[in-house]
Amino acid sequence: MRLFLLAFLGLMAAPAAANPVALSNSVFVERVSTDAKGNRKIVLEEPKVVTPGDRLVFVLNYRNASGKPAEKFVVTNPMPAAVQYAEAGDGNAVVSVDGGKSWGALAALRVPDGNGSQRPARAEDVTHIRWALNAPIPAGGTGKLMFRGIVK
Amino acid sequence: MQPQPSSCAVTRAYRWAILGGAALAAIASQSALAAGTRAGTTISNTATATYDAGGGPQNINSNTVDLLVDELLNVTVASNNPADVPTTPGATGQVLSFTVTNTGNGVESFGLTPIANGGGDDYDPTVTSIVIDNGNGVYEPGIDTVYVAGTNDPALQPDASVTIFVISTTPGTVTDGNRGIVALTAAARTGTGAPGTSFAGQGEGGGDAVVGATGAQGQDDGAFVVAAATVALTKTAAISDPLGGAEPIPGATITYTITATVTGSGSVSGLSITDGIPANTTYVPGSITLGGVAQTDAVDADAGSFGSNQVTVTLGTVSGGNTRVVTFQATIN
Repeated sequence: MRLFLLAFLGLMAAPAAANPVALSNSVFVERVSTDAKGNRKIVLEEPKVVTPGDRLVFVLNYRNASGKPAEKFVVTNPMPAAVQYAEAGDGNAVVSVDGGKSWGALAALRVPDGNGSQRPARAEDVTHIRWALNAPIPAGGTGKLMFRGIVK
Repeated sequence: MQPQPSSCAVTRAYRWAILGGAALAAIASQSALAAGTRAGTTISNTATATYDAGGGPQNINSNTVDLLVDELLNVTVASNNPADVPTTPGATGQVLSFTVTNTGNGVESFGLTPIANGGGDDYDPTVTSIVIDNGNGVYEPGIDTVYVAGTNDPALQPDASVTIFVISTTPGTVTDGNRGIVALTAAARTGTGAPGTSFAGQGEGGGDAVVGATGAQGQDDGAFVVAAATVALTKTAAISDPLGGAEPIPGATITYTITATVTGSGSVSGLSITDGIPANTTYVPGSITLGGVAQTDAVDADAGSFGSNQVTVTLGTVSGGNTRVVTFQATIN
């Protein structure tokens, strides 16, 4: 009982200090190089120089450092204004084209076409990308989510 | 879906990178449409997550990654003269028009250089000046600004354009149909080079300046074509004597025929034929014809006249491929 109480207090105190679940974000730029045989090779680099047209890979790593499963884990990444969504590296990602109000697969979404009707949404319309894990992250579990974008 | 162990995510990412190749071309062509995000812009990315580890819903933010958008140096030059511009031998103030566009993402100054001796043509126009348009697209000597390299290099905002006029003189030695090409090059003042070349700290907004796909310089050709014409005159005489023969005896009438043949792709202007009446002959009044049509001797609305003992026929502007026939008569004294 005493141990349980300590654990409980520890859990309550944790959010103020270090969250038991951590989400870290890193960005890479894709460089396409062609070798002597003409084969294309894609290399990920830490960006030193980013210019319009550069292809970025956003990587989100999560870790459940707590002793309990983390349930209903949902990650949301608003697209930076200067980055156009390209694709998600995960079939379970959903996107929003209206600032996060509604969500779905890109192919299923529509946006106003400026003439009073609607047209199918395109990659450049994406404002947010979201993943909702169906299963809890087990205690100590980690994972990785990715999506790609282009510097506008 | 199960939580993804990191090894699985890596495998998936690998496959995705391979498949990604097909998407690259389409994406690249989209971003080429405009100059893109302004140099100096910070791209900031933060993700958020919610979860429940038994203590109720929790919100967390990821770290924020900031990327500075550097200046991409790109420029295009396009001729505004889709067809060769007609010129004539020795003509001055001959104008070719070009549009210089900053296709980079930062404000940039461009140095302008004409190339008249690039070959591929028949002659080298003599470039006399480069002029920066005042915005109306029309060359206006004395109103538009004469360009001086390094002094008033046009500074263009991203996606902005300026019209540049290259003014030339056509050498007097050129002949009909000759072509003369003048190219205009525009080069980013920050620097040019192979795409990817970086100029540290020289980009707008404090980042680097990076040479884009254009090499940070652009060039296009404009061309003149000489439209000249030449005139050939031939003169024949036919004698008709009072005895019904063709002997040059007193009283015989001489019919002179002057044929002016204009050749070439251009035209001659102010063409006038003047012929004096030979000694010992007398002009036959009212005998001038032009193209078979009788002309009066007075200086009046028609082309022919007679005065000071010479015949004058004013033909004006005649374009290549045309022939004018003038006749007049004189009698032998």
